[in-house]
Amino acid sequence: MIYEVFTRKARGDALKHIGSVNAPDDALAGVYAYNTYDEEKWFDLWVVPRDRFVEVFNVDRGPAPGVTT
Amino acid sequence: MSDATAAVRESARASDLPDAQRESVRDLILDLADTKRVLGMRYADWLLGAPELEAGIALASMAQDEWGHARLLYSLLKEFDADVDAIEHGRQPEQYRSMQALDRAPESWPELVALNTFVDGALSLQLEALTSSAYLPLRQRVQKILDEEQFHAAHGRAWFLRLVRGGDETRNGIAAATHRYIPLILSWFGPDSDSARVLHDLSIVDAVGNELRMRYLQRFASLFAEIGDANFVLDIEPDWSQYDEAARRSTDTAPDAETIAKIRGDKNRAFLMD
Repeated sequence: MIYEVFTRKARGDALKHIGSVNAPDDALAGVYAYNTYDEEKWFDLWVVPRDRFVEVFNVDRGPAPGVTT
Repeated sequence: MSDATAAVRESARASDLPDAQRESVRDLILDLADTKRVLGMRYADWLLGAPELEAGIALASMAQDEWGHARLLYSLLKEFDADVDAIEHGRQPEQYRSMQALDRAPESWPELVALNTFVDGALSLQLEALTSSAYLPLRQRVQKILDEEQFHAAHGRAWFLRLVRGGDETRNGIAAATHRYIPLILSWFGPDSDSARVLHDLSIVDAVGNELRMRYLQRFASLFAEIGDANFVLDIEPDWSQYDEAARRSTDTAPDAETIAKIRGDKNRAFLMD
């Protein structure tokens, strides 16, 4: 499963997408993200399974069916 | 002036320790440092063999942590007038105090995961018993080590569960590795000897021997249950007949010579310039 990785450099910053990791579950995804994206000192670090993203709208495709129907 | 409430005497320097216990404290630090040094090598050896890239990166990070912890602990030995350079570069395998469970390289990924989970976990449990140590140089350093160790524990645990749930082959592999290492780890906590008890009485450590073993078995009971064998640990009776308490291992045992040669840096010794 692919997890997207998000971080903040400082308190109050917007969450920023910095990459992704492959992992079978949340626990390992967290450890992998912590070790893989450790080149900077983060304020916080988050992982989200890619398949949990909900598309709302796309210029080419228009409104996403799952949201508008 | 009564000092009944201030029974714990803190030591800021090794020279402040009671003469009879100074050697035991030095032994404890060297045992921990050597174990972390060798554990880092075991992690590093699997950088190129891990089942996925992310696990290799995690091992690189954990190896780096272990070597950093070892370096920090070795540096504490200067307080005891030790020649740290000779300790790091001049010893033979039989002079190492690393945990016996690390004497040979893990032969499979489940064995590496078991080391990560249970050996690293034993080290952390021992370090936790030093977080309120009356020996201040140790106390001041263990928390930073333990903070980093949280991610080692998370990696070990996550992989342990993944192997348990991955099918018969991986489950049998992690079960066998667990059975292999746990007896050696339980012995590592040492006997309830007089010298161990004195370290406890002086608040150098907050637990020794059986108390540490109980804490350890309690911490990992849920993982033992995962391999369907929560009670195998009850049959393990440490054998102290050949046990060297200062080195925390059986006499006539040693880590493999090839690994120690790498640790000493034999191959490129010529480049170790002052």
